[in-house]
Amino acid sequence: MYVRSRRRPMGSAMSPALARTLFVALYALYPMGCILQLGPDTGDELPIASITGLLMVALAMLAFAVLAGSSFQRQAQEPDAKLDERELAQRNRATYRAFSVFASLVALGLLYMNLRLDFADRFDLWAPVTPEHWNALFWGVIILSLTLPAAFLAWEQEPPSED
Amino acid sequence: MSRKDLAEAIGVNPQTIGYLERGDYAPSVELALKIAGVFSAPVEMVFSLKPFASLAQTIRKTGED
Repeated sequence: MYVRSRRRPMGSAMSPALARTLFVALYALYPMGCILQLGPDTGDELPIASITGLLMVALAMLAFAVLAGSSFQRQAQEPDAKLDERELAQRNRATYRAFSVFASLVALGLLYMNLRLDFADRFDLWAPVTPEHWNALFWGVIILSLTLPAAFLAWEQEPPSED
Repeated sequence: MSRKDLAEAIGVNPQTIGYLERGDYAPSVELALKIAGVFSAPVEMVFSLKPFASLAQTIRKTGED
């Protein structure tokens, strides 16, 4: 998902270091925030863990919003005809790596669910049950699939040098 | 000529010129020919498999000859 602005059709210029920081924040804050927010209800008057979790998810969404208009996301999502040969070559490499990582994570998730069913009588392993759990998981997978190629691009690119 | 001017002349992102200058990206034959065309020079004057000698070395060598 690339959000093109009228002022910056080539995406907002962002240093690879800043983009990497935002990607790490997105991938760390979203799952941690969901775990805190959807954890067991302690019955406290002020659910601090839940509020902290919500804030972490909000910060992750802020990072996602900034990255959605970045030049990295543009390179990852732009039609082929609008990229030059160097950008296309980098994107192909990044997409291949992102697909490998994404497929591995899906395979690990399926393996976990399978093991959970096999050992249900011996271990009480967590599984998504409520609609909120599935919702958090669904949006996490969507965000990951939309941003992973751009994250690989952010790690591959050198900072632009001055003219 | 600035990177931006060269990039516009050959239809690539200005960042790509930086990659080419640093030797981080090997261009296709088509792109190499386009760049050489902008400078009206043969392609082997712009790109080489071996690093180009510095201008000082070239002048010194010419003087010795």
